[in-house]
Amino acid sequence: MKFLVNLAFKNLFRHKRRTMITSIAIAVGLALFILIDSMLVGIEEDSTRNLVLYETGSARIMDAQFWEEHENLPLKHSIDNPQPILEDLEAAGIDAAPRTVFRGELIMQKDPYPESGSIQAQITAIDPQRDPQVYLIDESISAGRFLKEDRLEAVVGAWLAEDIGAQVGYPLTIVTRTKEGFFQTIDLEIVGLANTPNPVVNRTGIFIPIKTADYYLQMDGSVTQIDTSFPYQADIKKQTSKIRSVALEDRPDLTIVDWKILGKDFVALAAAKSAGSKVILFLVFIIAAVGISNTMLMSVYERIREIGMLRALGMRRHEIRLAFLIEAGGIGLIGASVGVLIGVLLNIPLVNNGIDYSALMRDADMGYRITGIMRGLWSTATILTAFFTGVVLSVLMAFIPTRKALKLQITDALRYQ
Amino acid sequence: MIQINGLKKQYRSGETVVQALRGVDLEIQNGEFLSIAGPSGSGKTTLLNLIGCLDIADEGSIHIDSVDIAEKTRKELALLRREKIGFVFQSFNLIPVLTAYENASFPLSLLGVTEKELHERTVKIMQEVGLEEMMHRKPAELSGGQQQRVAIARALIKSPDIVLADEPTANLDSETGQDILDLMEVLNAKHNTTFIFSTHDQMVMDFAHRLVRLHDGLIHSDELTRRAAGGTKVGSRG
Repeated sequence: MKFLVNLAFKNLFRHKRRTMITSIAIAVGLALFILIDSMLVGIEEDSTRNLVLYETGSARIMDAQFWEEHENLPLKHSIDNPQPILEDLEAAGIDAAPRTVFRGELIMQKDPYPESGSIQAQITAIDPQRDPQVYLIDESISAGRFLKEDRLEAVVGAWLAEDIGAQVGYPLTIVTRTKEGFFQTIDLEIVGLANTPNPVVNRTGIFIPIKTADYYLQMDGSVTQIDTSFPYQADIKKQTSKIRSVALEDRPDLTIVDWKILGKDFVALAAAKSAGSKVILFLVFIIAAVGISNTMLMSVYERIREIGMLRALGMRRHEIRLAFLIEAGGIGLIGASVGVLIGVLLNIPLVNNGIDYSALMRDADMGYRITGIMRGLWSTATILTAFFTGVVLSVLMAFIPTRKALKLQITDALRYQ
Repeated sequence: MIQINGLKKQYRSGETVVQALRGVDLEIQNGEFLSIAGPSGSGKTTLLNLIGCLDIADEGSIHIDSVDIAEKTRKELALLRREKIGFVFQSFNLIPVLTAYENASFPLSLLGVTEKELHERTVKIMQEVGLEEMMHRKPAELSGGQQQRVAIARALIKSPDIVLADEPTANLDSETGQDILDLMEVLNAKHNTTFIFSTHDQMVMDFAHRLVRLHDGLIHSDELTRRAAGGTKVGSRG
């Protein structure tokens, strides 16, 4: 065994350049694997957090009919008398905030706006007191201030404001329909701009006080939804069951939907992108595997006569195979060690500082709920997987050519040119 | 003793069937210094390969010390080669990444001897082949003759019963070839190891104590040479 290890070790450096190139191929593959995985997991973590904290809450209570037609935002299917529900949830220690979401047309007049015009928008009426229990919009005001109750004012997503040329202090006119379907015009003043880590909020968010909406939309105290917040890592099913039993037992007309369903576009996108990225990773591994395979193929085939000699001298096939596999494992070990080292070193700034993609994210909707800085995430499992994959892959890639060479008759091997 | 009876072997080369051996009978006593001579294609290498358990005969038998090698499994044949047979190849076939010392000691590593014994025996055999000063050189740092000496050391280090050498001087100049043959003759006498070597070189044939000439897969003649003690012709065929 000592001889086999010694032979394998020395053969490892028989063609230093070839060993080095193959090791580099493995190292680059594994370093990329660690970095891409770190980034993907980091982006997904951040996106999920930003989705829940700025867009969907952990779970949403709605009228079942409203949920069924939620793409049309039918105000007539709102939750009547939400107060007892909010009180029950509060008593059970569950953070909750009422919201009313409706569509309208934003009317902009030249002076102070750069151009006159209008755009369709989705407006979210929030309770300035309760909303911060579930969302962090109030902490993301980049200009002006957050909303105050019962006032004719609005907070607008910072990117939306930039797109329409709005600033704090500008008037904002919303033309919409009341709960009963009558046209209504609401004249507001922009009091703050929200620059959140969630690009969807920045790009489309318009927030007004819920009491203002209640009055103008003639909601009579009803709201379209009650958004709740529970710990991020909590079991979603258990939490929604708890909410159901605490607040919805006598409200069969209401339903509760968790963030995974509310943000299903993102969840589906994340899954699709993750699958796509895995394909890229697979290709990276294929490249590394081809490198190893090629090296081992050359190593084995140029040593067929040597293999013949070793067998003639009484070395058995499995001993020779073991020597080659140790050699391949050695290449894998060098590549994996260097790859993991490079991957870890490059991942440090990725985790601590991230990569600023803000210019890209500002103009392109990639589906992820992050505005600019993509941060990596440490994963011991990924690092260990990368390391062992490098070594195991190398050994596996050596197996086939070695097996083929060992199938030759000794006399044929000795004559091999 | 090696007892060969009615040995036949044929190869297929594409559509052509080559009759390498057509029925060889031969008896080789322990400690002989025997050359198998003949032109290319006469069956020399095939005969050596069969004696060395590297190949299997189509017909006939080979008994080594009364054991029929045809009855041995592949594993048993590997162990037989490991323990009892040494090989010297035309192109030396040393492992380039190992030093002369490591190349020579390799068969002992397979036999699992202790480090101490391995070292003692390797140094001794390297002295015998005259390479004690070059033990730590790699094959590329040695001349052809020196490499063949390492190969002889490798063949002899395990004290085999038989050493098979396939054209051991073919890749050497005549002077170096003669040195190698001198060395083989000395070691044959010293260790009483049976040396069987193939050649088509007259100078090498002249070195042998017994000369077996092959032609078209058959033994053409089998005789003791002038170098053999007594110099008596022991027989001929064909």
